[in-house]
Amino acid sequence: MGGPMKRQKPLASWRSALAAGLLLAAPALAGPAAAEDRAAILLPGSINDQSWNALGYAILMSLKPHGFATAYSENVSDADEAEALRDYAGHGYQIVMGHSGRFVSAMEQVGPDFPKTQFIAVSGNEGMAPNVMSIDWNNAQFGCQLGHLAARMSKTGRVAGVYGLEGVPNITAQAGGFRICAQQAGAKVTILYVKDMEDAAAAKEAGLSLIAQGADVLTGKLNAAESGLIAAAKEKGVFATGRGLDQTKLAPDRVLTNIIEDWPGMFGNTADQVKQGKRFGTFVMYGYDTAPVTGASLLYQEGKPFNPVVPAAVVKELDDMAKQFATGALKVVPTREDARGGS
Amino acid sequence: MTEFLAAAIRIATPLLLAALGGILSERAGVFAVGLEGMMLAGAFAATIGAWAGGSAAAGIGLALAGGAVIGLAVAVVAVRWRADNMVTGLAANILALGLTSYLLRVAAGGGGRPASIHLPLLGPWPIPVLADLPVVGKLLFAQPPLTYLALLGCVAFTLFLGRTQAGLALCATGENPEAAFAAGADPLRVRMLAVIACGAVAGLGGAVLSLQQVGTFTDGMTGGRGYLALASLIVGRWTPFGAAAACLVFGAAEAFELRLQTFGVPVSSYIVQMAPYLIALAVLAVLGRSARLPAAIGRPLEQ
Repeated sequence: MGGPMKRQKPLASWRSALAAGLLLAAPALAGPAAAEDRAAILLPGSINDQSWNALGYAILMSLKPHGFATAYSENVSDADEAEALRDYAGHGYQIVMGHSGRFVSAMEQVGPDFPKTQFIAVSGNEGMAPNVMSIDWNNAQFGCQLGHLAARMSKTGRVAGVYGLEGVPNITAQAGGFRICAQQAGAKVTILYVKDMEDAAAAKEAGLSLIAQGADVLTGKLNAAESGLIAAAKEKGVFATGRGLDQTKLAPDRVLTNIIEDWPGMFGNTADQVKQGKRFGTFVMYGYDTAPVTGASLLYQEGKPFNPVVPAAVVKELDDMAKQFATGALKVVPTREDARGGS
Repeated sequence: MTEFLAAAIRIATPLLLAALGGILSERAGVFAVGLEGMMLAGAFAATIGAWAGGSAAAGIGLALAGGAVIGLAVAVVAVRWRADNMVTGLAANILALGLTSYLLRVAAGGGGRPASIHLPLLGPWPIPVLADLPVVGKLLFAQPPLTYLALLGCVAFTLFLGRTQAGLALCATGENPEAAFAAGADPLRVRMLAVIACGAVAGLGGAVLSLQQVGTFTDGMTGGRGYLALASLIVGRWTPFGAAAACLVFGAAEAFELRLQTFGVPVSSYIVQMAPYLIALAVLAVLGRSARLPAAIGRPLEQ
């Protein structure tokens, strides 16, 4: 014990010398940046998950061109949420984001203490005046379009969706929207919930079980597991919808379209207004009715919304739906019952 | 029904290979808590091997090596340095999770972005004549190669453990290392080799996921299957065919859970999803009382 203790002292003084040096250097380095706008995000997992948390990191990075310096914290647990929010807000960050709806309650706790900070829950579904907001895209509108597309492309008249986290509002919106509109177009719908939105092998099993029961178009809202769904469709020669352009590459003749989420568009729009001093205290949902920023779009590949196998008549029906959503003539409000598991 | 059984077999296959590896480790006297990490390393190495090497064989070869590397780490720390088996195993699982997602970006990514690797899946190899039998033909004799390998592994491991000098030395080391030493075996060497072999075989279990079922690697893709494999080998009383039966039960429970939901039972999906784990707990509770662990398991070797 004696040896290391003795060595501690010179080490400690060396460290404090370095720290002092850094302190002296810091204002010089950060001088002009002191008045800079800053944005931070709290992530429930690691930015390297190729999935939900990687998306959070991408959202943060998309704020850089809007003139924000950025910072992030990974693996923030439920118990640490409020403390982490306080930490960033206390350091003068104008935008502090939490990467899932579960951050909303901590934000509502912390928000009143930092009126200058705009708190944003990514894909949450509530807000609190004056400075706690949620941003999401209209899952019901896009789920509805996928439901119509699936029903029109099905030969067996049976279509299916695989989702995770039953009961989470944006899942209910998309799964319910899918069922409502697929049924309106005459298809029988089965919805199945898996326990892990990242487990591709399990999602593939779920897809195979639905195909065995006659479904010939699959959809879903999963993270890394979505590729398992596409793999099932590819193996059995049925259609599927994906969540990213690389899923088209996985099975070009099986993927009908993808929902491509436009988080940079949604957040950039908000960040610009925050910069000008505006604060939001509500749930802001982007959709066809908030053009030009619609929050998401259907895309098969760059410049092509749908797979060429989708007949022109069906494409027209889907475009008409989008127009009706834009004008407000068509509204879909799914309930828990619409999004229930089973047929 | 055939489709249901086929699903049960598909789900059981990666579990069975991991469980077979675990049997080697536990029969030699080292808890196989690191199975999850060994599977994950195998799944990752298989993807990289098949992608860079251009063939599934390269993937399978690298899966053996990848799993063995984690096995080696566990062997050195838990056997050679006599650290606690449980802690070492759990640490190996965490290490594998971090290491694979880091290496995926180093090996395949540009600028820290993970690459999207898409591999052709290992398809079924129908066995002539047998595959044409009604019902069982398609179910048992038109499987992809790693599924046959898992079944052959059951036979080979049963013979190895019960009928060969090396197998008997391995079991003796797990029961009574001092006696094994007195009889001329080298318990340290036996345990080290058993844990490394455990890693290699469990790595094949991971390869089933990435090469035979999904066609790519995603972070943490084993999703807890290593722990289910560990439960299977305990339920199966440390015997290959016992473990195979347990894996099939878990596979069937999971396949049943998916089908139960589609019937539209008025129960929350969260409850239905618990089914396989409730079954595992129930079976363990019933069997636990009479299960007899290898006598010297988890006990470090005397110098």
